Amino acid sequence: MKPFYACNSPEHLLSRRRFLAGTAAGGLGLLGFAGMVHPAAADQLRRTQKRVLVVWLAGGVSQLETWDPKPGTNTGGPFQSIPTSVPGVQICELLPHTARHMHRLALVRGVNTAEDEHSRGAYIMHTGRRQTPGEQFPHLGSVAARLLAPEDSPLPGYLHVTPRGEGVNRQDAAFLGPRFGSVALPDGNMPANMLRAATLTEAADRQRDGLRERLNRRFNQGRRTAETEAYTYSYDQAAQMMSRRGIFDLGRENPRDRDRYGSHDFGRHMLLGRRLLENGATFVKVTHSNYDTHHENFDFHIEQLGEFDRPFACLIEDLVQRGLWESTLVVVMSEFGRTPTINRNMGRDHWSRAWSVALGGCGVRGGAVVGATNANGTAVTERQVNGGHLFHTYFRALGLDSRRNHYHSGRPIPMADPQAAPIQEILA
Amino acid sequence: MSFFSRAARRAAGAANPTRTRLARELRHNSPLFSCRIDPTGRFVFAGAQDSLIHRWDLTTGQRVALTGHRSWTRALAFLAGPRQLVSGGYDGKVIWWQADAAAPAPLRTVAAHRGWVRAVAVSPDGRLLATCGNDNLVKLWSAADGASVRELAGHTSHVYNVAFHPDGRHLVSGDLHGRVKQWDIASGTEVRALDATVLHRYDPTFRADIGGVRSMAFSCDGSLLACAGITDVSNAFAGIGRPVIVLFDWATGARRHLLRPQANFQGTAWGVSFHPAGYIVGVGGGSGGALWFWRPTAAQSFHTLALPNNARDLDLHPDGRRLAIAFFDGAVRVYDMAPA
Amino acid sequence: MMRRRPSLADRPRWLKPAAALLLLALSAGAATAQAPLHQRIDAAIAAGTPNYEKQAAPLASDAEFLRRIYLDLTGTIPSADEARAFLKDGTPDRRAKLIDRLLASPAFARHMATVFDVLLMDRRPAKFVPAPQWHEFLRASFAAGKPLDQLVQEILAADGADPKTRPAARFYLDRNGEPHQLTRDVSRLFLGMNLQCAQCHDHPLVAGYLQAHYYGLYAFLSRSFVFNDKATKLSVFAEKAEGEVTYQSVFDPTKLTKTTGPRLPSGPGLKEPALEKGKEYVVAPVKGQRPVPRFSRRALLPGLIAGADNMQFRRTVANRLWAMMLGRGLVDPVDFDHPANPASHPELLKTLTDEVAALKFDVKAFLREAALSKTYQRSSELPKGVEEASPRTFAVAAVRPLSPEQFAWAAMQATGLVDADRKALGTRATEAALYARLSGNVIPFVQVFGGPAGQPDDGFQATLDQTLFLKNGTLLRSWLAPRPGNLTERLGRLMDAGAVAEELYLSALTRPPSDEEKREVADYLAGRASDRAAALQELAWALITSAEFRFNY
Repeated sequence: MKPFYACNSPEHLLSRRRFLAGTAAGGLGLLGFAGMVHPAAADQLRRTQKRVLVVWLAGGVSQLETWDPKPGTNTGGPFQSIPTSVPGVQICELLPHTARHMHRLALVRGVNTAEDEHSRGAYIMHTGRRQTPGEQFPHLGSVAARLLAPEDSPLPGYLHVTPRGEGVNRQDAAFLGPRFGSVALPDGNMPANMLRAATLTEAADRQRDGLRERLNRRFNQGRRTAETEAYTYSYDQAAQMMSRRGIFDLGRENPRDRDRYGSHDFGRHMLLGRRLLENGATFVKVTHSNYDTHHENFDFHIEQLGEFDRPFACLIEDLVQRGLWESTLVVVMSEFGRTPTINRNMGRDHWSRAWSVALGGCGVRGGAVVGATNANGTAVTERQVNGGHLFHTYFRALGLDSRRNHYHSGRPIPMADPQAAPIQEILA
Repeated sequence: MSFFSRAARRAAGAANPTRTRLARELRHNSPLFSCRIDPTGRFVFAGAQDSLIHRWDLTTGQRVALTGHRSWTRALAFLAGPRQLVSGGYDGKVIWWQADAAAPAPLRTVAAHRGWVRAVAVSPDGRLLATCGNDNLVKLWSAADGASVRELAGHTSHVYNVAFHPDGRHLVSGDLHGRVKQWDIASGTEVRALDATVLHRYDPTFRADIGGVRSMAFSCDGSLLACAGITDVSNAFAGIGRPVIVLFDWATGARRHLLRPQANFQGTAWGVSFHPAGYIVGVGGGSGGALWFWRPTAAQSFHTLALPNNARDLDLHPDGRRLAIAFFDGAVRVYDMAPA
Repeated sequence: MMRRRPSLADRPRWLKPAAALLLLALSAGAATAQAPLHQRIDAAIAAGTPNYEKQAAPLASDAEFLRRIYLDLTGTIPSADEARAFLKDGTPDRRAKLIDRLLASPAFARHMATVFDVLLMDRRPAKFVPAPQWHEFLRASFAAGKPLDQLVQEILAADGADPKTRPAARFYLDRNGEPHQLTRDVSRLFLGMNLQCAQCHDHPLVAGYLQAHYYGLYAFLSRSFVFNDKATKLSVFAEKAEGEVTYQSVFDPTKLTKTTGPRLPSGPGLKEPALEKGKEYVVAPVKGQRPVPRFSRRALLPGLIAGADNMQFRRTVANRLWAMMLGRGLVDPVDFDHPANPASHPELLKTLTDEVAALKFDVKAFLREAALSKTYQRSSELPKGVEEASPRTFAVAAVRPLSPEQFAWAAMQATGLVDADRKALGTRATEAALYARLSGNVIPFVQVFGGPAGQPDDGFQATLDQTLFLKNGTLLRSWLAPRPGNLTERLGRLMDAGAVAEELYLSALTRPPSDEEKREVADYLAGRASDRAAALQELAWALITSAEFRFNY
């Protein structure tokens, strides 16, 4: 079989890492170090750089209590649906604040990922592929970090604000390499090892860095490679990140905003998400835990969505107000939805056959609703899509050609499942 | 409680919990999760997940659906004099119904709470109605005309239950966090707090609260207060925990016992009642269903009846012999404690 | 100054006569086969590039060679004393003697065990076979000089049922016996062909990688599964007697289903015995019992993969061992061997392939020849006037990042942690004792610098968490604190700045400091009389975090 893919040469893609070396070697290169960019240029960069925010509702949020309510049916549960800012589109009453921003969001109501197990469902939603032995696909966040993040950004490309984070996850990036793996901000704290040792004065730190740099200059005279450059440059990046660690400090946010977003963890984490995006982060994932409501689905959804709704609406509002909405793709997703059938413990179980994803911002047509389920939500009746379609859609929304390939040791690996296609109906 | 006549108490004395057996099964096709028997003993009302309230005539078995709420109904109470049912729904409404009408229709609808109405109680003299709900409020209403009488604020989580003390001067309310408040009805002030926080856990893994005072009852003489729910939760989202009833000594406010089933059972105690003869009756659902009997003097139940399905609520018949239980499988089952 | 195209200037003089001689020898055919392999390597490398002499770097200095050979053969750097001794040794055969000494040292087997562990297991967590048992199996194999074909056969033959060979079964078991995973890794590791892309369709870019190749290999493994024996509480690799392999191409609109028996990509189809119905099993599959088929497809695999008839295996071994020493395969990437990606030096690869067999898969002998070659011993510094050097020419030595393990051990050596522990252990300071005591320190380096588990290491990336780990982390800081026998304690006892510089540079960078560097050290210390101990730690830190330390050059 001859190449089906719209191939890019391996060299082209492999060169991205070397690009760094190239720019650094040529003085300060294209943009120079982020800290040195002229304010006007920084503003320009901020507007043209594409960003992604994924709100991960861990455990599997119920589509019936969010984007695809079925009140008055045997599966509908106790909640009503409410009108939104888009005439004719109703969502669950648990999301009154979000409802006011519906004209900015698109709903995909015909998602069928056919995978009811947490980790495999999460894999599909993070990578756009089903898990296959022997092949590991990179997370959306890692792909964004690789393709969207400015090379010289002092921030890691894929940041994960999570209640229970543990540092860096190298698995996320798969073959793209650990540089693009997620860096966790556990409970909204800054990454590990960001603070200089108490025993080391700033002056001494500068002095030892000066010696290190002189050594590097001598070594690089006859032996410079892209790799040695990347290594020595990483110290400049680290220093920048340390000097900008205030990015992670919510204490610097306006107390009024802290009140708006709420004092609970998710409110703080969403405000941190805003702060990161405003400060040049490329991909931020904020995890809200937990929606795995096998028991008392309704009580828990009141509690969890009660936390989710307002900060989510605040973030939309703020991104719009700051002029970042058009360049920030926002996606609300889970590993799957929840069963229409209400179990004997008033819970809902895992359900991937007919559920919903909400997205908005960059490249997304606000107010669009695509796909539908039957009267009591047990099956997709219209425009069924899977993780592959969603990935094509995300990439297109970000202005990336979703038919492109990644290259892994020379092997082309399609960025998105070649058997799926973008959901054009919701693309701007 | 107050509904039990002296004669009923005498009859009840003849009831023998250890002989409890299924007497009748009244079926519907939607899961039920509340039930109350009217003070005349003729009707049993049950709230269902089809957002209807269903009334069965215990003499004929005939079922009538009460249409009015737009959501589920967990709260049911009766005004004995005018023979009215008052229901509180997850649509935030409280509705008055003529309980014995051929086809009851809403007599009065009051938008009582923002969010769910979780419980309704009627004062011993029948003049006041207390409601509580997800707006963290307890509210008092005129039972006669639905006029608002007072709002009792102070809970910091959803208020799950409310009950009048038989003395008619005090009211208790219990919330998701297991905090129980005693209110002075005349002044609307909080008199004291009782600690049923054993009925709550914040699960740090799932980052959510689980528990709440799922049912609440005073003993007939007002000397004991029982609060039912779940405790020892090891996994909030699968509901892995133990049913428990917190028994308070009303005079001191001290916890007298944590009433637990003697047999191993996983789930929630959904309903609790005091039998006029003094023992405590509870039902639970989780890993199946069970009916338990305790004496107020011992923490361990003295009798358990395994139920065919997850039980959600229970109510004692005014005859002191029968009791009705609402089930997830859509049935109300009537059990008889009389010696066969 | 990136290394790319070399200029014509500065032709290395030493090469002329040797290369000329060897080129001559090579062209003379069979008679020259007697020339030592390392000479034939150099001749072939020279012959592979026009004007090679003009582009080739001179031989590395003794110090550069010393650091490189230590890292490649023992996984760490030498101590300052070892460096001093070698740099003082004026004998002409000092490099060959050092190579032999290192190959004979226990550190060599240890390092090989580490390298092959990462290669074979891709840093997967241990699941059914404890990692130390596997490591010891590999270490003992290399210590005993076990031929590599035998080692691979043992690995592919082990099923974990026999306690004696159970460690070898980690290759299968800790991949959960997953046949697709195994198909990918067997093809990648032992055949130099990453057939992953051919799982769902013929490789879209590589004409030589067919879906039929993938499934032919898969058919050896598809009947196998991990069986959990309740009685022994051990998981072993079991096999069924049935299950045919079918596949379709996702690109085939007609969805034609094909079928294949077991066969190697280049091999013939295999005749399988026709077994009477009902007699397919020695032990029939019943619940709770491990089935044993009368005919095992998997049992054929070790002999076919690593047997004498499989040229592709020899070629892959040659290419991978070459890449271990030279930093790059003759076929590059090492698992992408196909006609459209030819070797940089096809004749040399052919020679090495033959030599692998001639040397009876003796890893030490092969590495020795590679290390003796001038190709290996060239400097990594671009010759004057040469702007760039293509890595395909092997004209200039590669600059390679240290593996996480090399980095950890080298940092432990440089900071004197190893010396201090050796001192503390006294007479009990064997290689095994030191390894037991110190190997736990490698774990955080692997966590921070290692690639994702289950993924072959693919290139070098400097990540922020790595740098912050070195810059602000407590581990390296704790190694820099003075302790009897360690680097900063030794430096603290030296009053003369020149002596400090010498000990520091020999310990950390395996070379004496230049005059400029001596001055820098003196200047650094001059202003820090009041906190000299802190200044010494800063100096050591600067050397260890320099690019010179981070790379094997």
